[in-house]
Amino acid sequence: MASTVVNRVFDPAKGALEEVGDMMILAGKTIVSAVRPPYSYGDEFVHQFLFALRLCWFPLLVSTVAFGFGAPGLQAANFLVLFGALDRLGGFFVLASIREFAPFVTAVVLAGVAGTAITADLGARKIREELDALQVLGVDPVKSLVVPRFLALMIVTGLFDVYALIFGIFGGIVATLVNGAPLGPFWATFFGNASTTDLWGSFVKCTLFGAIIAVVCSYKGMTAKGGAEGVGRAVNQAVVIAFLGIFAFNYVFTQTLLATNPEMLVIK
Amino acid sequence: MSAWLEQPKDLLANVGEGAKFSAKIMGQVYSLRVLRFLGEALRQAGVLITSSTVVIWGLVFIIGLQCGLEGAYFTRSIGSPAYAGVFAAWCDLRELVPYAFGYMMAAKVGTGIVAELGSMRISEEIDALEVMGFDSVLFLCATRLLASWLVLPFMYVAAIGAGFFASYLTVVEQVGDVSSGGYLLIFWMFQNPPDLLYSLIKAMSMATVIVLVGCYYGYNANGGPVGVGTATAKSMVVNLIMVHLIGMLGTQLFWGANPRAPIGG
Repeated sequence: MASTVVNRVFDPAKGALEEVGDMMILAGKTIVSAVRPPYSYGDEFVHQFLFALRLCWFPLLVSTVAFGFGAPGLQAANFLVLFGALDRLGGFFVLASIREFAPFVTAVVLAGVAGTAITADLGARKIREELDALQVLGVDPVKSLVVPRFLALMIVTGLFDVYALIFGIFGGIVATLVNGAPLGPFWATFFGNASTTDLWGSFVKCTLFGAIIAVVCSYKGMTAKGGAEGVGRAVNQAVVIAFLGIFAFNYVFTQTLLATNPEMLVIK
Repeated sequence: MSAWLEQPKDLLANVGEGAKFSAKIMGQVYSLRVLRFLGEALRQAGVLITSSTVVIWGLVFIIGLQCGLEGAYFTRSIGSPAYAGVFAAWCDLRELVPYAFGYMMAAKVGTGIVAELGSMRISEEIDALEVMGFDSVLFLCATRLLASWLVLPFMYVAAIGAGFFASYLTVVEQVGDVSSGGYLLIFWMFQNPPDLLYSLIKAMSMATVIVLVGCYYGYNANGGPVGVGTATAKSMVVNLIMVHLIGMLGTQLFWGANPRAPIGG
């Protein structure tokens, strides 16, 4: 009796830890194989880059405008209007958009759209035994498939951060206009409070989100098994793990950034 | 010219098909025909509880930590750390807990339904149900919708609790600029039962859409094992867009004209 309880608790925990370990190993292999010549993954990289770009631009546009208008826009504007200080909304958007929601909305959309597509693609190749065929031919699947996806997703996620910033702030502008206020004070407080640290923090965070998504989704795709249900289940697990990973990393990164850079907290 | 029009036309056709399918499922639940398979609905509710609750609470907990963190540092920077509760209350209850719930519902439950129903479709189990005289939409989709309506309100309220607890941990225990009593006073002052109800409505609309989208993509999957994976990936795109749109519309509807804050006269 006691042993079954122990097994029920520890077996899933052990399995989860082993999986995280395997993902770390895949991440290490990917990085080593990316920097070691020959650099044969150029075409696939361009292809994956454009693929992610084409797939994500529209969902990301809708998501960031909606999020920027709703959460920080309307709620914060409501609060500030009570004090007659709507001009401060721009300053608040530095915190809300650059530091927080532009990176994580980008990551959520990229994980949900491009990440799931990667898992579905690699999972299909796995169960059609194409990955085994590649290995038999002497082609390294990590170098030919994972490395280009890893690099493409990292760069695309980093660049999409700019896009999410622009459209998130557009949501804030709409919220200002809805309240019938002029835009000049919004921009004045926005640029007054924005700092370079915020911006590079946002980029670094977002690029690393891309790395997390790429590793998790490639790993889940390459280890898919069990026929028709297997690929679907791999996609399901990949996106759950990617979300948990993204938000856990987000917390640690933001905490470190805020605690080590007190100067970016000063309101100007 | 016609090639340009092809894409929006397909999109509209798909939206129409999806709406028709969803209306059918909703009708089956509202007309209580779903009660013929009450056992299956309860089984689905059990599956939902055992497989998804912990993950959803986990994500909401992490988001709660994040809200508390931003709140604590932001209110410190404007020189009023005692008011971190305002930020945490609004951030948790009104915005980010519904979003986090929507994200994890889409990721865990939505894609799970697509994978499950899709593989049933591919292995021709759904056709077998039809041959045996079962109404497959009623048996597979309506029961899942009923199960999610039975379970999710309770799960969501508990998730709000997890988010509140996490914000308390970061603001009071970790950053520590404000005392426990001071934080909780402001925190509870800036929310009231209608806010909870609105937040619940927002989250339940997200959950309903996610379950319906999952059922639509899973039920209509085609193209072999690869098709199931593609359908799962596609459902996620629709779900993410819908979650964000519902979040925005909910905020506009419930709090757009009235900040519902205990300030001013």
